[in-house]
Amino acid sequence: MASSRDTRTATAVSTAGPASSETPPLEPIRSRRRVRFLDDDQLDRLQDGTLRILEEVGVRFPSDTALDILGDHGAMVDRDSQIVRFPRDLVRRALSVAPRTFTMAARDPRFDLQLEDGVSYFTTDGCGVATIDWDTRQQRASRKSDIAEMARIVDYLPSIGFMWPTVSAQDRGRTSQLHEIDAAYNNTVKHFQAMVMGAEPARRAIEMATVLAGSGEALRARPMLSDLICSIAPLAQDHEGLEAALVFAEAGIPVGFLAMPTLGTTAPATSAGALVVGDAEVISGIVLLQLAYPGAPVFHSIMKAWADPRNGNYVGYSLDNRARYAPVEMAHHWGLPSMAACFGTDSPTAGTWQAGVEVALDPFLGGLAGPELVTGLGLDRTYTLLYPEAIILDDDVYQRALHALLAEDVSDEALALDVIANVGPGGHFLAERHTRIHMRTSLKRGLTHELAPEGGYRDPVEVARERVAWIRENHRPEPLDPHKAAELTRILSAADRDLGGAG
Amino acid sequence: MSGSTPPLAPIRPARHARFLDDGQLADLRSATLELLDEVGVHCPSRQVRALYADHGAMVDEAREVVRLPPDLVTRAMAQAPRGYVMGARDPDFDLVLDGTALHVATDGCGIEVLDPVVGRRSSNAADVGTAARLADALPAVGFYWPMLSARDHPRTAPLHELLASYANTVKHVQTETLMGAAPARSAVEMARVIAGDDVTLRTRPPLSALVCTIAPLAQDADGMEGALVLAEAGIPVGFMSMATAGTTGPATVPGTVAAGDAEIVAALTLVQLVHPGAPVFHSLMTGMMDPHTGAYLATPWEGEIAYVVGVELAHAWGVPTLAGVFGTDARTPGWQAAAEAGVALTLSAMAGAETGSGMGLLESCMLFTPEQLVLDADLHERVRCTLAAFDTSREALALDVVKAVGPNGHFLYERHTRDEIRRRRFSPLTGRTAADGSPIEPVEVARAEAARILAEHRPEPLDDAQGRELARIVAAADREAETVQAAVGR
Repeated sequence: MASSRDTRTATAVSTAGPASSETPPLEPIRSRRRVRFLDDDQLDRLQDGTLRILEEVGVRFPSDTALDILGDHGAMVDRDSQIVRFPRDLVRRALSVAPRTFTMAARDPRFDLQLEDGVSYFTTDGCGVATIDWDTRQQRASRKSDIAEMARIVDYLPSIGFMWPTVSAQDRGRTSQLHEIDAAYNNTVKHFQAMVMGAEPARRAIEMATVLAGSGEALRARPMLSDLICSIAPLAQDHEGLEAALVFAEAGIPVGFLAMPTLGTTAPATSAGALVVGDAEVISGIVLLQLAYPGAPVFHSIMKAWADPRNGNYVGYSLDNRARYAPVEMAHHWGLPSMAACFGTDSPTAGTWQAGVEVALDPFLGGLAGPELVTGLGLDRTYTLLYPEAIILDDDVYQRALHALLAEDVSDEALALDVIANVGPGGHFLAERHTRIHMRTSLKRGLTHELAPEGGYRDPVEVARERVAWIRENHRPEPLDPHKAAELTRILSAADRDLGGAG
Repeated sequence: MSGSTPPLAPIRPARHARFLDDGQLADLRSATLELLDEVGVHCPSRQVRALYADHGAMVDEAREVVRLPPDLVTRAMAQAPRGYVMGARDPDFDLVLDGTALHVATDGCGIEVLDPVVGRRSSNAADVGTAARLADALPAVGFYWPMLSARDHPRTAPLHELLASYANTVKHVQTETLMGAAPARSAVEMARVIAGDDVTLRTRPPLSALVCTIAPLAQDADGMEGALVLAEAGIPVGFMSMATAGTTGPATVPGTVAAGDAEIVAALTLVQLVHPGAPVFHSLMTGMMDPHTGAYLATPWEGEIAYVVGVELAHAWGVPTLAGVFGTDARTPGWQAAAEAGVALTLSAMAGAETGSGMGLLESCMLFTPEQLVLDADLHERVRCTLAAFDTSREALALDVVKAVGPNGHFLYERHTRDEIRRRRFSPLTGRTAADGSPIEPVEVARAEAARILAEHRPEPLDDAQGRELARIVAAADREAETVQAAVGR
């Protein structure tokens, strides 16, 4: 594993329990082909729409701290309504100091994510509220132990670059977000992206991340935590979200703003209209952070949804999947890293036709558009319900996209013209040495092509369930240093006491 | 628009993309030319070998192998048209192959039907008609491949499949089972009846044909002889290679692509040598062998890329393509069939494929269930909507509406919302609930929708005289086949 110190820790722990297992290297989507779906003129029009909304309509900032910062830097602040309007040159000036790339570090440095052009790291989905129980298969409220289970699966899957709290630690009350960090840090060596709200919880989260990093400086250099802040559509920020964002930005923790405009209710019923509303929310948050802490690592994310006019239901999937790529291109047009919104089917059940068809294109379109970060494998029922096998099914779709976007090899060895000439018209390749060498590696067996004992292939959903069971049984990620684990427990106890958690 | 057939809804991508670079395509083309020059193809038809020889190919009569000098191939391929029209019984359903749209056909040619009454059974000519009627009602289906084999007419199945197809859809029909000169002559006669005259037959041919080559590097005598008859009449003819990595192709995808492309190009070259300018197309649907079972796999993870390589190779040779889209190894409608199909369809559409085929069959093109065609049409619609141009007009940006609503408001009661939300596209198959509020599985909704279509949809019928004429042609072919069979039997 990573460092000699970590290795010693693993050895020490292994005397008390089963030996830890190797975390397989990450396999992000590295697309050889980038496709621009929107042209410059369209992106300029969208950007101009955002700037006009920011200038003429404004965004509500329910935080005195935020209003002070924005007012000091020349934004037009209405203290009564808490609505802030932004001159466009202020927006541009603020965004000009936002970094285009940065590092999202991991407990094991080999799993640090160095954001770069052409590489897309995917995460688990978040943040569900219910779980199909791992053992009883009965639906129940989600809890901290579910995050621990998911973290071990995350640790095992090369498709998952970093982790979101897949479900909420509802058994831990007001400090649930801190318990989610604890569950992840103890069960995966990968980067964790939290959804912490409020200034004080943010300080405690930083304290936890500092334990992993060793010091505040080390954490700033290699942040092992990032945080995602949701805005409130339309055109409003959340008080607790803003307070947390400012605390994190000060400590160098990457902060993403996520807008979730819903066509027809919290946003106009046109895609472009919904995207500019979402963009205005995200950009206003990022402007605040750049004015307060110039150069703070930030990222941009818009997750579009619909109010289904037939029944009023909130749905993540219409027939139009352009929301997989359009927000990515908008973020990049601003010069910001993007977190694309993928996965999270509306299907109430895992492994159904709907669960397959809705997400089938997501990682492929995401890969073509080139976002740095992408959500989120593993949830059903519009990202509210965790089925243990869902992440494995989504992973299969991910692998299909990854292979479709790989560079095609047309080397002499791959073209095999000599072999073809040797076999000649009407022959066969079974007995060729070239076949024996390449056949072993050419077919990678996905869920769909697991052999059945009676012949043919097994039901892929059944295979996915077995694979989850296997991972739970066999994968033991490198444990956290026991001293660090104890320190996290101490911080959590204090937080439970001080903040009223149910830990 | 005559009749009740809804307008076609092909995929018109706002953006096209190239997945191979010029150097890679040049490498693949050189590989094909090298194989055709140095190895050649096995050509078991004496007549076809003579035609190759007449036009400058190197023919080894003893081995029945034809080798083609590179300049002969490139000269012949330069004659092939880059685009043309595939006509339909109703001209509103003509397909213009100009690179702006991907038209997708049903899959074929299955041999079994999952019948709601009797369960799984062997397919017949009536099934071909039933599936054609369902396909006629689905805007996603651009043209019709007879989805099933008319196994109740073993000797003349392809002609019975055409008869059932023309009687049940106004859309273009592409046969993928027609083999041999005599059946091809009957098919041309049938197409002429649909077209009405020879000029229309050539300018808007209501029939096209797909002929399979035999991997590796071989041709079928009946296939090639039939293809020449069709090409002479102006019927578009395409050649498909299903070379399989590990058995009939090398165990690497590019090697299998090169071998498959050589088969196709050898056949296309012949057609262009004999009938310069004849409409042709290129179709590369390579598969992969399962090393444990030897089975042909259409949809392993690594398989998708080979389909888009086929599209780009066709275009590098200057001809339209029939892309491999849909087609699943799944045994039932469900997660697998859905998860497997989207990427190849999207890749092919973005690469500019003109046509594709594969909607509606399960078990690697063997089993027909009506609901699978409805489910695949839904997936087609998703890709169509997703690749459509993004609208950034003033109306779409809706800044005035946003200004009116402002922070923390909501858009529910805005007139813009009422007008626009109806234009957003949602799947008719998902989000359905029963009276008690429980969700209805989309597969069940699709099954009900297929049953509704089959109960209600009546495409514009064939003109009586045309119907009688088609039946006469097929009956004559039946009699001829019986005579031949009797003679062979003696």
